[in-house]
Amino acid sequence: MLETDRNQLHKLVEEALPELDMVIGWGQSTDSFQTTPVFVRDAKQISQLTLGPFCSQNLTGYLVKPPALDAAPKEGAKPIGICVKGCDSRSLVALIQEKFLTRERVRIFGIPCRGTVDWNKVGKLVDLSNVKSATVEEDVLVVDDSQTTHRIKLEEVLARKCYGCRYPNPLIQDVTIGEPATPRSTSIESSYRDVDRLDAKPLEERLDFWQSELDRCIRCYACRNACPLCVCQDKCIIESREPRWLTQRVGIPEKFLFHFIHAMHLAGRCTGCGECERACPMDIPVTLIKEKLNKIMEERLGYSAGLDVEAVPPLLTFNPGDTEI
Amino acid sequence: MAVKIFIATDQLDSVLEKLATKIDLWIPALLKEDKSGPTGFIPYEPGKSPVFERQTTLPTKKLLLPQVETLLRFEYKKDPEGGSTSSIVVDDARQVRPTLVFGARSCDVRALITMDRVFSQGPYVDPYYVERRKNTFFATLVCEQNDSKCFCSSVGGGPADMEGSHLKIVKLDEGYVVEALTKEAGSLLEGLGEAVDKAKDTKAGKIVKEASKRIVGDLDTKGCAEAFRNRFAQNDFWVQMVSQCLSCGVCTYVCPTCYCFTITDETQNLKGERMRSWDSCMFSQYTLEASGHNPRPTKLERYRNRVGHKFSYIPEKYEGILGCCGCGRCIRSCPVTIDIRQVVGNLKENSNEQ
Repeated sequence: MLETDRNQLHKLVEEALPELDMVIGWGQSTDSFQTTPVFVRDAKQISQLTLGPFCSQNLTGYLVKPPALDAAPKEGAKPIGICVKGCDSRSLVALIQEKFLTRERVRIFGIPCRGTVDWNKVGKLVDLSNVKSATVEEDVLVVDDSQTTHRIKLEEVLARKCYGCRYPNPLIQDVTIGEPATPRSTSIESSYRDVDRLDAKPLEERLDFWQSELDRCIRCYACRNACPLCVCQDKCIIESREPRWLTQRVGIPEKFLFHFIHAMHLAGRCTGCGECERACPMDIPVTLIKEKLNKIMEERLGYSAGLDVEAVPPLLTFNPGDTEI
Repeated sequence: MAVKIFIATDQLDSVLEKLATKIDLWIPALLKEDKSGPTGFIPYEPGKSPVFERQTTLPTKKLLLPQVETLLRFEYKKDPEGGSTSSIVVDDARQVRPTLVFGARSCDVRALITMDRVFSQGPYVDPYYVERRKNTFFATLVCEQNDSKCFCSSVGGGPADMEGSHLKIVKLDEGYVVEALTKEAGSLLEGLGEAVDKAKDTKAGKIVKEASKRIVGDLDTKGCAEAFRNRFAQNDFWVQMVSQCLSCGVCTYVCPTCYCFTITDETQNLKGERMRSWDSCMFSQYTLEASGHNPRPTKLERYRNRVGHKFSYIPEKYEGILGCCGCGRCIRSCPVTIDIRQVVGNLKENSNEQ
């Protein structure tokens, strides 16, 4: 099935490429199993493109982060092609809502997603240091470490965000590759299980949890830079030196402050793509902070980010007659 | 005769406990209760087991170059008689204690050869670094866990390279053979462990011999300094190599060799501290000039600088040594799987094409 889908992707990209500036997709990295973003400008590069459960990166950030692309299109500029999974498509919707992009600027190759692999989880079952190859056969991940062939159910090693995913199929697209996927979750309750589990604990325990998790943060800002909606880029308040808002110190309070500033700037904007958590080298569940905010947004304001290009995010508008706040 | 001891696996904790009474002891350990989770070096505590089975996520760098350190404290004192005049009281905050890192790897220690050239061999000598360096000792594991991201042999090191180490650790099935490589280190081992019998000594010797023969990595770094210069202005090359970079600081923060820092004064009222903290060439502030101009405005110039610094500027300035120890951490931690070996390897291919 993956093979058929990949061929279809190659064919569609080949047809579209002459009209496009480039196509952003996933390709094989130097590693036998991890993918890396590729920028296809030439038909010769099309064969590099791949899809499937290893394609974890959300590529939409590249549309607004220079210099890979020119975000402000010049007269007559060709559109940019981009491959998106369900969650990635929501980031794209949010970027269009916030006017970082126009819909016409992108040609969207939509890929229904059956979940992406979290290699940290695979690492608990297999020693990843000597993996020779990894492939997917239907719903099984086959990992060969040169001594043994491990067969792992994909369902056991997916990224945390995938278990609560309500939108595996792209919400915005020009073409679809493959069959639609079935959502793993259909309700607010089942989408925010991890938030509820943590919320059920007493305050002290929650504080301990976050202190010990955030203590590992090295302030490398991978979470921020991987986030497609962290659009301030080089003007980030965390690094600003004039004025200097935050100290250089690396105590838990400073790390707390950074992560909560990051989360608050995403309130009502975060689409839950999980890139911040995936990018973290220290295995900190940073998306969980944003999930809590997303849950509040859904429950209080009935709003979920990145679903509708026409919708106005509630925190990006105001109603002078509002008596509820 | 070099001091050599054997520590049985079940005796390791008690030996480390004794060792910790002689010197501040740091070990590689889990940073999260998860056996495959992130690891780094932490101060030893009884009962805390060292992780020797794999390379740590974070290197030993912070022991010599802390992520943040106070260089000095200052306080302005107003002269009650003198009106607007005030004096400044400066207090050097240094406090360095002898420290032993038990379970470093040759790549971690190799990185210090580069750091030493920068911080301690002039023209500018950094007293903070020098004092810590003098007081930090490394017990280094003969490495048997190299993986597909490791390339220490390509940059002048190797899995059994002991240059710069003070003690050598060889892991056997039944325990550890620890050998002092300097006289001072020998005294640390006094009264610890058991004597090494012939059988164990032979076994350890065999492991070291095999590790010494192992070639880890196949990156050819010969001529990379010149190749980089030829590639410098080829924008297309850098677009092709690093368009996927996110411009975050992971690669520089997990790197044992990256030593760039920034200095800031943080003041409250009349008191303040001058602090030095890690900087990263991936950040825009790194080269932002006072005028507002930034000579490295995008990730392309920033990543190019990372490659150039490690494989061209450092070797040209310091007799051929590289600014890379081949540990592979930047490759493992990169959220978009950029492989520095690929970039450096491609520097040479058709380097004069354009």
